[in-house]
Amino acid sequence: MKFREQGMKAVFLICAASSVVFVFLICLFLFINGIPPMLELGVVNFLTGTNWRPTSTPPSFGLLPMIITSFITTAGALVLGVPVGICTAVFMARVCPKPLYRALKPAIDLLAGIPSVVYGFFGLVIIVPMIRDIFGGRGFSVLAAIVLLSIMILPTVISISEAALRAVPETYYEGALALGSSHIRSAFFVVLPAAKSGILASVVLGMGRALGETMAVVMLAGNQPRIPGSLLEGARSLTANIVLEMAYATDIHRDALVATAIVLFVMILTINLTFSFFIRRGGR
Amino acid sequence: MFAISVIAALALTGCAGGGAASAPAPAAPADNPAPAAAYLPGAVHVITREEGSGTRGAFVELFELVVDGQDMTYIGASISNSAGAIMTNVANDLNAIGYISLGSLNDTVTPISIGRVSGTAENIRNGSYIVSRPFNIATQGDVDALTRDFISFIMSAQGQAIAEDRGYVMVDDSAPEYESSGMSGTVTVGGSTSVAPLMERLKEAYEELNPDVFIEIQIMGSTAGMTGAIDGTLDIGMASRPLSASEQEVLDHMEIAHDGIIVIVNNENPLNDISFDTVREIFMGEVVVWAQLANQ
Repeated sequence: MKFREQGMKAVFLICAASSVVFVFLICLFLFINGIPPMLELGVVNFLTGTNWRPTSTPPSFGLLPMIITSFITTAGALVLGVPVGICTAVFMARVCPKPLYRALKPAIDLLAGIPSVVYGFFGLVIIVPMIRDIFGGRGFSVLAAIVLLSIMILPTVISISEAALRAVPETYYEGALALGSSHIRSAFFVVLPAAKSGILASVVLGMGRALGETMAVVMLAGNQPRIPGSLLEGARSLTANIVLEMAYATDIHRDALVATAIVLFVMILTINLTFSFFIRRGGR
Repeated sequence: MFAISVIAALALTGCAGGGAASAPAPAAPADNPAPAAAYLPGAVHVITREEGSGTRGAFVELFELVVDGQDMTYIGASISNSAGAIMTNVANDLNAIGYISLGSLNDTVTPISIGRVSGTAENIRNGSYIVSRPFNIATQGDVDALTRDFISFIMSAQGQAIAEDRGYVMVDDSAPEYESSGMSGTVTVGGSTSVAPLMERLKEAYEELNPDVFIEIQIMGSTAGMTGAIDGTLDIGMASRPLSASEQEVLDHMEIAHDGIIVIVNNENPLNDISFDTVREIFMGEVVVWAQLANQ
């Protein structure tokens, strides 16, 4: 009995350790492969250069357009997606009648399960032609990516915000009612602020999702390696830069793509650390 | 948008037919594909392949888009990373123009001739259509008998006929006939997305002649194909571009076919011919609206 208990303990330990080991190995791989070429290209040149011409001679590897595009698409997706997501979460936690909830909840869970290439295809068939018809231009644009990403982050924002809202003690809500607030006013001005840290965490996770999304963005954004002059112009995100060119890249070009992955990795890492910071504050 | 233009086209045809029946029509558009008929009113939407792609490499080289070593392709050009994606984009966007491998072409898009020479296998072989590139396969060191046999099939009269049949151009028109050697085993082939459709056909034909052989094809891009051949994970690597100097040092390669690169536009685009220089100007971003073509 004792032996079996010890054995299972070891199995669980190995399982727990493996994920840590994988994260560590990925970091190691990225930094060993990416840091030397990044130094060789010049960190400042690499991060602030605006020309990406990897197959020219001499090649130029300027990542700034991609960094800016990633920021714009992520920020845009948050601006469009977060208000809708939070309002949906308040609705689901505080307003929604039971029968409707039973339909709404699985629908939102399903939204989270749709593969990104399917989202991309939806964008290609619906969003791109729509933007082309309404605003003119070619349709493949930063705006198309923003609209699609704002839909893609919805399930993350909604389900985490909803959980945070439900974790607020019922007494808060009842106290607000007792003081004479209406139902909606209590939900928005008492329960919502009390769930602040959980909601912030949902936004941060949504941001990570938008920043890391690849397939859907590649299909919609046009992928030009330049700083977009308007939302209707095409541009290329960091993720798209890697996936577009990896298949054919050789030598220094390939190294530059690994270095791109490092930049993305550091950005995502920062977001995740911020996330765990909010979680910890929420716990207190 | 697309649906509306289709309806408009049908309506026009209907009118022309009615007119011809009652009174002599001034010009029958079907009989006379006048070159300077009309240009689309909109802006030109340029679509290109990603940097490093074999198709793009050949295209920018052949159209002299590389100036002093710098790839001068229009920075505003949309970028897609497969011939299929380019065709989808061109098929759905009236104003789009792109380029693909001749072997990938289907009727969802319209190929246009360059300087009145259409990109057909015939014209590539006789040298009048100059926009073409090699399809290479590469192996490392001593190859086993089965791999050698498959390569001899590719280079045989049957193998070359398959390439020709698929719209590519054979490299050897007096190749010997292939005779099945009754071998068995597996050959792993991998690399270029452009060469893969041809390789699939070669595989089918070869496996029919040698039922005990299985040819495995991995589609992963020219460079990954060459890397695979170097590190031994692939028996044969495929590349839709010439091999780089570092690859040539360790690999033996041969050309198995020639592929044309054709410029394509939307099926509703009245354009059917374009000059070499105009293609160059479009892909450098100097021609931005179709109407500019009227002054060329």
